[in-house]
Amino acid sequence: MLRTMISLAAIACSLLAAGCNLGPKTVKIGVAGPMTGPNAKQGNDFLNGVQLAADEWNAKGGVLGRKIEVIPVDDRSDPKEAVMAANKLVNLGAAGVIGHYESSCTIPASMIYAEAGVVQITPSSTNPALTLDQRRSTVFRACGRDDQQGSMAATFVRDRLKLRKVAVIDDKTTYGQGLAREFERNLGQGIAVVAYENIQRGDKDFSAILTKIKPLAPEAVYFGGYYTEAGLLATQMRRQGVRAAFISGDATIDQEFLNIAGRDAEGAYLSYGPDVRKLESAKGFVAAYTAKFGPLGPYSLYAYDAANVLLRGIEAAQTAEGAKVAAAIHGLSFNGARGELSFDENGDLRNIPYVMWVVRNGAFEVAN
Amino acid sequence: MFLQQLINGLTVGAIYALIALGYTMVYGILEFINFAHGEVYMLGAYLGIIALGLLTQWGVTGWTLAPLLVIVFAMVWAAAWGGTIETVAYRPLRAAPRLSPLISALGVSIFLQNFVMLTQGARDQVFRRELLFSSDFNACGLSLASCTVSYTQLLIIGTALALMTGLTLFINRTKLGRAMRATAQDQRMARLCGVNVDGIIRLTFVIGSALGAAAGVLVALYYGVVNFHIGYVAGLKAFIAAVAGGIGSIPGAMLGGLLLGLAESFGAGYLSSQYKDVYAFVILIVVLLVRPQGILGNKRDKV
Repeated sequence: MLRTMISLAAIACSLLAAGCNLGPKTVKIGVAGPMTGPNAKQGNDFLNGVQLAADEWNAKGGVLGRKIEVIPVDDRSDPKEAVMAANKLVNLGAAGVIGHYESSCTIPASMIYAEAGVVQITPSSTNPALTLDQRRSTVFRACGRDDQQGSMAATFVRDRLKLRKVAVIDDKTTYGQGLAREFERNLGQGIAVVAYENIQRGDKDFSAILTKIKPLAPEAVYFGGYYTEAGLLATQMRRQGVRAAFISGDATIDQEFLNIAGRDAEGAYLSYGPDVRKLESAKGFVAAYTAKFGPLGPYSLYAYDAANVLLRGIEAAQTAEGAKVAAAIHGLSFNGARGELSFDENGDLRNIPYVMWVVRNGAFEVAN
Repeated sequence: MFLQQLINGLTVGAIYALIALGYTMVYGILEFINFAHGEVYMLGAYLGIIALGLLTQWGVTGWTLAPLLVIVFAMVWAAAWGGTIETVAYRPLRAAPRLSPLISALGVSIFLQNFVMLTQGARDQVFRRELLFSSDFNACGLSLASCTVSYTQLLIIGTALALMTGLTLFINRTKLGRAMRATAQDQRMARLCGVNVDGIIRLTFVIGSALGAAAGVLVALYYGVVNFHIGYVAGLKAFIAAVAGGIGSIPGAMLGGLLLGLAESFGAGYLSSQYKDVYAFVILIVVLLVRPQGILGNKRDKV
């Protein structure tokens, strides 16, 4: 017994010693998001986008003369797991993190990164609280905010569709509720919100709510939430005979929404960034990504841009130290696959126009 | 609106009732709660998707009888699973303390969930209804006053009613049914009278699993989306339905299931949709306070 303990202690010591001798040979970039579970595709889209960026940089010799290593961590769409994942990346010495997917994960995780001084860029979390509630110099967002998205959708309903009665439903998540509230707040006078209902994320049956909404005859149903519930909701609306336009946000623009809702998705309006497939600056990215990973996910390109921003920040700062990288990112303007990107003092993009998309013939296209 | 909520509630309730039957039948005979039953229901939903895939490959989805084929395929296959689970996980523990098969059931449940997750993927799977039905079956239905009853809802309520009637007739009118009732009353006496008790126990699992699988296919048909963890919540609610109706009682499970579905539907419609999952538990608590043996349960089967 004693002998075993001594040998174990010896092994432990030698491991510690070895650990001290290893200097950082690579620059570590964390990718955090749901890698398993129902939203696994989003996390893997992130990973693919970041990996593509890292491969391109590595082919040119990496950054700071070191190779770039991509470390994926899984938050399983769970805020508790997100905090654990964040701690893991901080402990591994990540120079920066691309993630997370949902606002409900990104916000708690951001506290960990900010405290450790690690640069975090989320490709997809749109809740305003992430950047506006407390200004932290190391937090960035490579997409728009829900107040911008919600007000665009409200304007669209008021001025383009010219509807006067809407029902609003949210899924009680940080993202869904935030977006739905912003939409409602921006509707203005003259548009009646005939019902405001909540659903539970993961629930499958919304017939009770829809039955309640139907006699109120809304002309549009606005949903703040994610694609699975959105697909179910769109289907059940048609089944219950609710004849209203279905309008939702950027978390709905996913092939899965079309798969679930089938032809009931037809005519649904979704707010999202401009069509990257038509951008000249994104041509190279789209070709390389599709060749390697298949069809583009809604946030593949955002993750790719975010990774490039981070790496160029590190290059400009000539160090992987968080505060200096963040300062470099704040001061720079980037030529991303989406065009020119620069960040304001909150870490938000200076210019992110949301546009309305529509489902036509089983595919997403920009509504004109 | 009342009528519409009634139909919605009946649809969901019929599904709960089908699953609840599996819990109550097993409890009636073995006095043990088969916590793996929710997963068998989930398995049934996946088997429905597989059956639909096979039918599509053979090009026979246009048939009027195609939905029936899908349900029958899932029921038969899940019944085989049910029988196997009984042999592998519960039979060796027949003489063990009552806690052992319960823990074994939890193990089976974890195994089945992970098995399906690893073989079918963690993502939502879509049951492509449009392959099974003509153009716009989902949105079509009967319109009565302000209420729309979709054909899918009619199909679910109809299938569930048919299966429950069949089960009742089987239990009450056939020789095997009588043997089953005898086994539930007194295993030793039934054995002395020449009943193959082990066979009856397996039959109970087989029938319960088949009913659970039918519920799974109906849910896949209704919502169009299935994932590997749907068995947990559905199993929990069906268990509540079985307990509230009186565990061990077959009409009790049917009643409990329908009651639960109606409570959820009316609760979400008239009170608040935020507390939808709470209503099931409220019903359970009220029933257990007023009638600890459940609505139609025997005094003997107190839970």
